[in-house]
Amino acid sequence: MTKRLGGIYAAYVVFGVIFFGPVLFMLWSSLRNNVDITGSLFNLASPLTLENFTGLFERFDFARYIGNSFVVAGGSTLLGLVLGAPAAYVIVRRKLAALGFLTLLARMAPGVLFVLPLFVLSIRVGGPDSLAVNYTLLIVAHLIITLPLCIWLLVPFFEEIPASIEESTLIDGANGWQRFTRIALPLALPGLSVALTLSFVFSWNYFLFALALANEQTLPLTVIAFNFIGQGSNDFGGLMAASTLISAPALLLTIFAQRWLVRGITGGAVK
Amino acid sequence: MTKPTSASGAAKRAPGAGAPPRRGRRVDPIARGIWPFALPAVVVTAVLVLAPIAYTIWLSVSDRQADGTNAGFLGFANYTEMFADSEFWNALKVTVFLFAVCLIVETLLGLALGYVMSLDVPGRRIFQGMMLIPAITASVAVGLVWLLIMDPSLGAANQILAKVGVDPVVWLGDPDIAPWSIALVDIWQWTPFMALIIAAGIRSLPEEPFEAAAIDGASGWRTAWNVGLPLLRPVLTVAMLLRTVDLVRFFDTIYIMTQGGPVNATNTLNVYGYNTGFVDNEPSYAATLQIALLVLVVLIAGVFTWFRQRAAR
Repeated sequence: MTKRLGGIYAAYVVFGVIFFGPVLFMLWSSLRNNVDITGSLFNLASPLTLENFTGLFERFDFARYIGNSFVVAGGSTLLGLVLGAPAAYVIVRRKLAALGFLTLLARMAPGVLFVLPLFVLSIRVGGPDSLAVNYTLLIVAHLIITLPLCIWLLVPFFEEIPASIEESTLIDGANGWQRFTRIALPLALPGLSVALTLSFVFSWNYFLFALALANEQTLPLTVIAFNFIGQGSNDFGGLMAASTLISAPALLLTIFAQRWLVRGITGGAVK
Repeated sequence: MTKPTSASGAAKRAPGAGAPPRRGRRVDPIARGIWPFALPAVVVTAVLVLAPIAYTIWLSVSDRQADGTNAGFLGFANYTEMFADSEFWNALKVTVFLFAVCLIVETLLGLALGYVMSLDVPGRRIFQGMMLIPAITASVAVGLVWLLIMDPSLGAANQILAKVGVDPVVWLGDPDIAPWSIALVDIWQWTPFMALIIAAGIRSLPEEPFEAAAIDGASGWRTAWNVGLPLLRPVLTVAMLLRTVDLVRFFDTIYIMTQGGPVNATNTLNVYGYNTGFVDNEPSYAATLQIALLVLVVLIAGVFTWFRQRAAR
């Protein structure tokens, strides 16, 4: 038995180095200076520094980019929940599996397909010039990510609510909306928090829409990091610090909400 | 508290219970009058998903200029142009290449990792958490890290190769190597995702067939091949379908790392479509490429679903 256990842990180490190694490399590089990053991968004793992070905030309006990411991911997530929760409830109670088809289409269509029309729309409504219009467009565009995800994540939570609990309120004459807001919604609260965190991270990570739609003032973290590449930046430490900041929500999520994450990224392939 | 609830539930159902069950139509009392709640989401989804598709179809059969004017209906000229466009065929080739290489490696490696992840040993959850990170890290961060790892002169990969006496590799600058490098990044990012689904599948398998095989004295590998794999097929199909849909519209890490280069060696259909629209400023032709891609994705997903349903029967 111990021999078998030893074999499994040996496999853990091999797979760990392959799949977690690059993540560690990113975190570690974000704390090293450029000479060490490019000079000596094997010098584990090189000094650590926070300069890569402070440098980002000194040289760029980085607080603003982080704020933009929060506005877009947060806004699209809240909208996704507000629209998605009642829809998920209806899907469960009316057994409308067919409605899932639209959602499926949103999942399968390539993101670029949405960008072209959104870009044309953006020009028509003055997106490039107006801050408010631009934020609104970005939030609405990210709904393409968050709304299907919220619905999809909430359905099983509503399914778990026994019909009998709601049936009992029929006697009190509660109408559908009251049953939804007073009974179903509070009982589905854990689901709401799951959908909130997951769709926040997925929306935070998504970069294509903002790449085409954002203007100088509304750029989120992901796009500004992408622009660094275009400028041929050799500040590897700064790039890794930026990557670390971008990855922060995902890393936190893995630590604190792993169980739900599994469901969120496997998209129903596993129960 | 629970008792009266279930009692009244039973009472409500009582009238229908004696009669022969009628199919469909009759709506559960608690489901009455709630359908309007779904209306906002349906309308928003329809507008957000169907309208762009409809508009893109219109773009693809009309002649929108770079300056934003549209010269009107064009028929299928863009589509005939596409079939005569050698870059379209190259993009299709690149897409199929990446799809095939990534799917095969991710499935095989995913089976191995998935098996390891399915075993109940102390520390399993921590290991699983670590394996999850590549899949949920933003593509931009993944791309940046791998750009640094694959940097031709200073990158970590070549530093490691130098240690073992291998000449430096031009990971992303050589048209013959770049597609493999891109495949490597995708395999890194998504194999654990495959493994996660497979691990969950393995953990939900019934034990009896394996016990029977053990009694028959079958070896571990034979059992895995003859008993485990067939039982695992439905889960495996779903995992491969999810990866397929993503691989056919492969965009993110490619666009971040190579933008389709060098000399179009990593120019997938999706990257080609994006560059045509936003770099070359040819919106109508870009739309045509996107519609072609959508058709391809839906076709492949359809074939997969068909196989799955046939297998389920």
